[in-house]
Amino acid sequence: MITTVVGNYPKLSTRPQAPSLRRAISQFDTGQITREELSAVANEATREAIREQMEAGVDLVTDGQIRWDDGQTYFAQGIKGFTAGGLLRYFDTNTYFRQPIPQERLEWSGPITMKDFRLAQETSTRPVKPVIIGPFTLGYLSQQGCYHDRATLVLDLAHILNQEALALQEAGATIIQFDEPAILRHKQDFSLLQEASVVVTQGLQLKTAIYTWFRDISDIHRQFFRLPFQVFGLDFIMGKANYDLIRDLPSDRELGAGILDARNTRMETVDELVESIRRISRHVSLDRLYVNPSAGLEFLPRDTAQAKLARLVQGAKKAQEVLK
Amino acid sequence: MTRGLLTTAVGSYPKPDYINRARTQAAQGKMDPSGLRQLERKATAHWVQIQEDLGMDILVDGEMYRGDMVTYFSENMEGFKISGLVRSYGNRYYRKPIAVGPVGRRGAISVEWWQYTQSLTSKPVKAMLTGPYTMSEWSFNEYYPTFEDFVLDMARVVHEEAVELERAGAQYIQIDEPAVSTRPEEMELASRALGVVTRGLNAFTITHMCYGDFALVYDHLINLPVDMLDMEMANSNYSLLDMFRKAALPQDKSLSMGVTDAHSHLVEGVEEIKAGIKRGLELIPPERLYIKPDCGLKTRLEEEAIGKLRNMVQAVRETRRELGIE
Repeated sequence: MITTVVGNYPKLSTRPQAPSLRRAISQFDTGQITREELSAVANEATREAIREQMEAGVDLVTDGQIRWDDGQTYFAQGIKGFTAGGLLRYFDTNTYFRQPIPQERLEWSGPITMKDFRLAQETSTRPVKPVIIGPFTLGYLSQQGCYHDRATLVLDLAHILNQEALALQEAGATIIQFDEPAILRHKQDFSLLQEASVVVTQGLQLKTAIYTWFRDISDIHRQFFRLPFQVFGLDFIMGKANYDLIRDLPSDRELGAGILDARNTRMETVDELVESIRRISRHVSLDRLYVNPSAGLEFLPRDTAQAKLARLVQGAKKAQEVLK
Repeated sequence: MTRGLLTTAVGSYPKPDYINRARTQAAQGKMDPSGLRQLERKATAHWVQIQEDLGMDILVDGEMYRGDMVTYFSENMEGFKISGLVRSYGNRYYRKPIAVGPVGRRGAISVEWWQYTQSLTSKPVKAMLTGPYTMSEWSFNEYYPTFEDFVLDMARVVHEEAVELERAGAQYIQIDEPAVSTRPEEMELASRALGVVTRGLNAFTITHMCYGDFALVYDHLINLPVDMLDMEMANSNYSLLDMFRKAALPQDKSLSMGVTDAHSHLVEGVEEIKAGIKRGLELIPPERLYIKPDCGLKTRLEEEAIGKLRNMVQAVRETRRELGIE
């Protein structure tokens, strides 16, 4: 069993002596500091987010996505042809993102996440998981813009994000995660996800994961588990039906089990976590299990996020003892 | 002559700079709460005067004393603590309430502000309460076993406050539910909770909602247990009105229609607003049609807010004259 996170980590340090990222961004926006000065603060914030994940005992960490304004914008800014549109609600949360708009045929113009990945590799003594948005989700959360149909947009993005993934593989990543929560709202368009997934994973020898959140995978679960990924990330907090649907996970595939509520401050008990893992282990053996929060942790205040991660690790340890 | 096209506002107005400065100082302990309160009363009186001068019919207090609509009520209730910072978008952060015990009132929360505002004018002053669904949806929940339990218990508390406002003399009570469109599948719960709030009230009850795909939940929407729906219309170029073409708003319900975009700097012209009002009148008679800005105006500059209200009132005057109503 491997403990990991789904992606983002709250950006603002609670250490009094830490440089304030919030202030630095606001100073940069008003021209009081340079891009390099802001970048130095963001680097320090990234290192601290990684250290906190390691302190909590997480086996497989991310860079915390400190530089990401939101899951879409960071990539849209790095892909040639996108401009930023208005604010939209992110699914059923009370957070907002800028809707990307393709102005012209989109193109990959070089690695987007590479610097952050390298920084995370240097900082972390544990393996680092790079995370990139999936082509289906980026396509569905964008406007169609200059594209006449959604499918062409999604497939163009699949080629672009495949280049990003290949670059990360080249840089030494051993696992990569694609975020595809939008499929749960557009299940009728599953065949497009299928097509895009084949494209986005072309030439990848490293382990690949696809993560979803905020709903269950009912109605599409059998096809879902046949997508060309090794790890399937599901939300067991907002998608309770997933507990039963995982019985169809093929025995050569692994599960990313989101059993810690990333959207509420209520602290799970160790016993609750063990019980969740026990239920899952009826269908999926522990050696095929990643355990993680149900989504990115940025919905929570920083101190709660770290405390919850530590609790997740305790729960996983206890489950390993009790259930082996 | 019939009465109709009464003008009102959603609730918030821009805060003068001295309020924003005073709130920061009070938060840092550099100003005592009574000093802040004095200034908030001054700003409230300022906005009452503006609304009177413009000739509006149903006034609001402008919410000078609120940080935000959920935090204000949760800070003044039992059962909540306030979280560390969470991000909303970009570099914007806020503190989110956390329900840690049974929610309840320590006493009246907003009644004194309503009484004070009403003492400044002979026009009716509308009371605004944040609704149970929005209060719960925009908080963390560490206490209630389910979200439904949280929402329904919150509804009981909002009801108590509404009863006390009515007893103090409020004729118009608005329950703000901007979060209601977050998950269409929970519209039934939101509606049930609203029913708990309005049960037994004699005051004219209103619910304000914004930003959502309301067509999905239209049946619930037109049957919500309130006397009036308050909706934005201008910012979607009145496309939301189409819903009321498919099935009419019940005869015993009124619509409060937004005719000026609360999130745009542009002050809409009188003719443009009149055209919007006429689109509403195609579907709903004037005695059941109220006219107001789309949403609270707190994010506008003061002169923009006043410009929007002035043109709105003028557009209503001209429309009334053309229709021969008071």
